[in-house]
Amino acid sequence: MVLIGENINIMSRTIGAAVAARDPAPIQEMAKAEADAGMDYLDINIGPARKAGDELMAWVVNAVQQVTDKPLSLDTTSPVAMEAGLKACKARPLVNSVSLQPERLRQGLPLVKKYHASMIGLLWGTEGMPRDANERCLLAVDLIYQVNQFGISSEDIWIDPIATPVSGEINQVKACLEFMSMLKDIAPDCKSTVGLSNVSNGTPAHLRPYLNRTYLIMLMRYGLHSAIVNALDPELIRIARGKMPEIVSLVHRVMDGDMPDLSSLSQKEIEYVKTVRVLTGETLYSHSWLEI
Amino acid sequence: MNLEIPKTAYNGRIKEIRLGKGDKAVTVGGETCYPFYLFEGKMPNLPRIAMEVWDTSPEDWPEAALEPFQGVTGDPVAWARKCVTDFGAEMICLQLVSTDPNGLDRGADEAAAVVKNVAEAITVPLIVWGTANHDKDTEVLRKVAEVNEGRNLILGPVEEGDYKKIGAAAIGYQHTVIASTPIDINLAKQLNILLGNLGVRDELLIIDPTVSSIGYGIEYCYSVMERVRTAALTQQDNKLQYPLICNVAKEVWKTKEAKPPADGALTLGDTRKRGILLEAMSAMVLLLGGGDVLIMRHPEAIRLVQEMITELAAPKNN
Repeated sequence: MVLIGENINIMSRTIGAAVAARDPAPIQEMAKAEADAGMDYLDINIGPARKAGDELMAWVVNAVQQVTDKPLSLDTTSPVAMEAGLKACKARPLVNSVSLQPERLRQGLPLVKKYHASMIGLLWGTEGMPRDANERCLLAVDLIYQVNQFGISSEDIWIDPIATPVSGEINQVKACLEFMSMLKDIAPDCKSTVGLSNVSNGTPAHLRPYLNRTYLIMLMRYGLHSAIVNALDPELIRIARGKMPEIVSLVHRVMDGDMPDLSSLSQKEIEYVKTVRVLTGETLYSHSWLEI
Repeated sequence: MNLEIPKTAYNGRIKEIRLGKGDKAVTVGGETCYPFYLFEGKMPNLPRIAMEVWDTSPEDWPEAALEPFQGVTGDPVAWARKCVTDFGAEMICLQLVSTDPNGLDRGADEAAAVVKNVAEAITVPLIVWGTANHDKDTEVLRKVAEVNEGRNLILGPVEEGDYKKIGAAAIGYQHTVIASTPIDINLAKQLNILLGNLGVRDELLIIDPTVSSIGYGIEYCYSVMERVRTAALTQQDNKLQYPLICNVAKEVWKTKEAKPPADGALTLGDTRKRGILLEAMSAMVLLLGGGDVLIMRHPEAIRLVQEMITELAAPKNN
């Protein structure tokens, strides 16, 4: 499993302030922490970057590359910033992301090709968010076709089916999973990724890791190739590295409808069981889902 | 060939709660099926309507809404009595409009005394509704609870921001709590859990999902109510197996569609009829979403809705 660290994000208070002050130290510290935690890629999210995005992205990329040689995933909607970042990358980068919106295709694909990058293919259509697994399939087929037509091969497309918050529409959380189970059949050569932490958006901060970890296990069951994750969650990384097989098999059992006797389980196991049931929609989510 | 009609697989039941005290106490809830799906389950207690009384003379009510209450709108006790004796109200909802800090800002003691006077003047259950200002409602509803100890008033709105203090007062002085959340099923469940943890017993809790009028997002309210019922009845979600209360009248009658057109034009038709129908139809939508208690205003709108309830609940001869 390929892990992409999400922690260099302009929305973070420390990173945002460091970027504004052009102070590389906090950014480099985070980059080192992510690399030490075992991330394979580091995502650099500078947001829409409307003003002087090109200079900004190049500056962050260079700052990060001074402390690590991990490949980077560049996350911005500004094509100018994207190109400046790609130009500065030493290792083969990942463009995060290209969607089916005509403008994103028109601006993104030439950059992917010119800089020989890989790309995240975000399943966001001209009408916005797909409503279910089938619409995700339609969007995936359409996107892969258009990207291939442009001369970019399927191995370089990392399909992102879009994870959504469990505290929102639960059917979307299920649809993302269902789509993952279908992707191998409709596009065997493509890779996949997901912005994992989205699933716990809106959940109290100290409880988010439970949802992230469990959803990762569930998605991995269907062959998820990579995930954009919180690099500072060691248990999540142990899961991704295959070091928690008992928990993984427990999660699989509950996904299959098995309801183990909670009294025979450890506290940690109980938490995983309850979280699977929330993520499959068996139990309606509330902030107290672990307590009831 | 026999046609097999598909049936919903229910495995849950809405809790029955008893509102008020004595002979005129009202029991709601107990459903084992979706609203009026009497071919699939039971509704042992049909939905009830509470008539609205304000604690101060309403200033922005259209003529159509004021007309039935002429002469009593300045006197909550007389108003409540009229609702019961003239219009057969099975419950009263006293809206503590005058306590609004952005309005008359009446104090807790005064409000509690008004509630007590109304409560003593009627025997039907009394709902007491604050202004959704956390600080003020905490002050007012705590006092109301204390002064009316043991009457089993139905107190609300109790929200995440004030549930601890109001909830504790309701427990201490034996009243029912209206758990109110802003059109969000996950938050509704969470507040019920919090109130349960606080010690509010199951039979003293009713859910306010927050509702609106037709034309003002009622489909979102309907959808949340429908999902609450689905989770409660088909997913054994015992934190959502409570009756639902809908404070709909004040939402309907404040809309511009329920009022005379500002420019005097008659393009929207008869103003009086329009307001009444808007209230009745909004209430009907909420009934179909699972409403157990509706707070309504106009006697004619109430009559229309009661007719519908009777008709929908009538045994079928087929």
